[in-house]
Amino acid sequence: MEALFDFWAAYGSTVTFAMANAFFALSTYAVLSTGVLSFTTVTFAAIGGFLAAQMVGQFGLHVYLAFLIAGIGGGLGAAVVASLFLRLESHWMALASLALVLITRVTALNTPGLTGGVNGLVVPVTISQFELFVLLTVTTLVFYRLHNSWYGLASRAVREDAAVASTMGISPYRIQFTAFLISGAVGGLGGAALAFTLQFISPDTYFIGIAFTMIASTVLGGSFHWFGPIVGALIFTALPAAMQAVVPAVEDVAKGVVLILIMVFLPRGLIDPRAIGLRRAAKRRRDIEHEAEKTHA
Amino acid sequence: MQLFVEQLINGWALGSLYALFGIGFGLVFSTLGILNAAHGAYASWAAIVGYYVFQWYGVPFPVAVLCGVFGGGILAILVDQIGFQPLRSRRMGMLGALITSIGFWIILDSLAGSATGHQSLAFPASSYPNAMVQIGPLRVPQMQIIIILSLIICTIAIHLLIQRARIGAAMRAVGWNDVAAAISGVNSRVIILLTAFMAGATSGLAGVLGGIATSNVSYTLGEGLMLKGFAAVVVGGFNDVRGTAVAGIMLGIIEVFVAQYISTAFRDGVTYTLLLAFLIIRPRGLFGSANFSRA
Repeated sequence: MEALFDFWAAYGSTVTFAMANAFFALSTYAVLSTGVLSFTTVTFAAIGGFLAAQMVGQFGLHVYLAFLIAGIGGGLGAAVVASLFLRLESHWMALASLALVLITRVTALNTPGLTGGVNGLVVPVTISQFELFVLLTVTTLVFYRLHNSWYGLASRAVREDAAVASTMGISPYRIQFTAFLISGAVGGLGGAALAFTLQFISPDTYFIGIAFTMIASTVLGGSFHWFGPIVGALIFTALPAAMQAVVPAVEDVAKGVVLILIMVFLPRGLIDPRAIGLRRAAKRRRDIEHEAEKTHA
Repeated sequence: MQLFVEQLINGWALGSLYALFGIGFGLVFSTLGILNAAHGAYASWAAIVGYYVFQWYGVPFPVAVLCGVFGGGILAILVDQIGFQPLRSRRMGMLGALITSIGFWIILDSLAGSATGHQSLAFPASSYPNAMVQIGPLRVPQMQIIIILSLIICTIAIHLLIQRARIGAAMRAVGWNDVAAAISGVNSRVIILLTAFMAGATSGLAGVLGGIATSNVSYTLGEGLMLKGFAAVVVGGFNDVRGTAVAGIMLGIIEVFVAQYISTAFRDGVTYTLLLAFLIIRPRGLFGSANFSRA
């Protein structure tokens, strides 16, 4: 029991950060599952984070209300971004979203009235791990429901082939726009979660680091199922801590090597519904052949 | 007036570095379809190689630069063959390569930090031409002239190579559709290696020259070049090196002028706003062709 407490004292914060990163990964997954590679989650997270921090710090709102406002703020930001970006082709979209991340930081630096500028903002309240866990569970439930809904089916169709999807009466633009709204709301929640976890945010909090963490988490965990990003975020957040315990001297190098190895050997991610499906199909085929051989004999 | 012209040349030299780096980044993006997060590390490592070659062997300036450039190219080939080649055969598209490039970015930056002892090194003043050149009333550092000329030479050479030479046609073919290129007899493996080397070498040149000119040899060198080089590529249109060159110079001049005449706080803001404006209004960039598409 004592050992368990020690473990929790050492790695409890890692779990909290993993949960915050899971929001970002889910937000990235939301758009990626409709075939859009976008780093704009960082922008939505910045909107949500600063909005929540200001709501609590300036207006003394309750944390839950701040989360709600952060989600709505992220969603509104996403609506603006989506209406501008969805006209671009996929490669340009990726570049544009990366540019937006750079602009987000510069904007945050130069609007000290809203974001505290270079000095950042101190967030006076925090949330418990349990509250964060409940919020993540609810968000995950939404993704689970979406995955099995018409929207989930339509988004998979758009991802596989947008042209084919549109011949079947699915509007890729509307699906991708919806995806952006979901991504914005979840990204805003994640931004607020990070703000309440760190209790200090600055323009550098929401920058390239998060962009690459979330995209790596999503792809590592698997971008074809809602469970993938959560697993990915957990692994990607725990990896540095684990590497520090095993090989402290070359911690960063080991992290990079693990990332490359997973990608090279499991390019579709850890959670891959197709691989499971293929395995089942192969087994069924073997069984049928087996049966056939028996009847021939 | 003299200040204006001097700042113009400063900006031009700074922008030339961005453009040189951007040409390499753009080559990989347009030919190999990879958004390479590790590209900045090539520039850092080229500068580090150049620095240590000079420190250990005391070679003359051109040899140190050449070693750095060659080092950048070799590093690019290594990263490509270890990180990107296994994904190519599985048709993973841009996403897989992006993740492995993030992995390499982490590794190479961390190693670069160890190689420079986690500080910023500077080339000793005796290692490069550091005199001033008198042009009329102006005094221009020799390094700035070297940087400006390097960009002009590289842009013309690479543009001619891509647009006129057979090997350039093969590169464009692989960029457009590598399967179709292979069917018509292009050895895409060779083209990939060549493109990776050229991209690493060009960005490496930007790294070495930038490391000398700004007295900063560390992993931050590549990161700085990466952000601005990326902007130059997008504004210029990434399938045309001329566009990257012009856009890079433009961004450098704007940056220096904004810092000089408006405020240093807006320096990056103006660059990135311009970047976003271009992406939304004219996504194919200054010189980019209209029919760019990649399945």
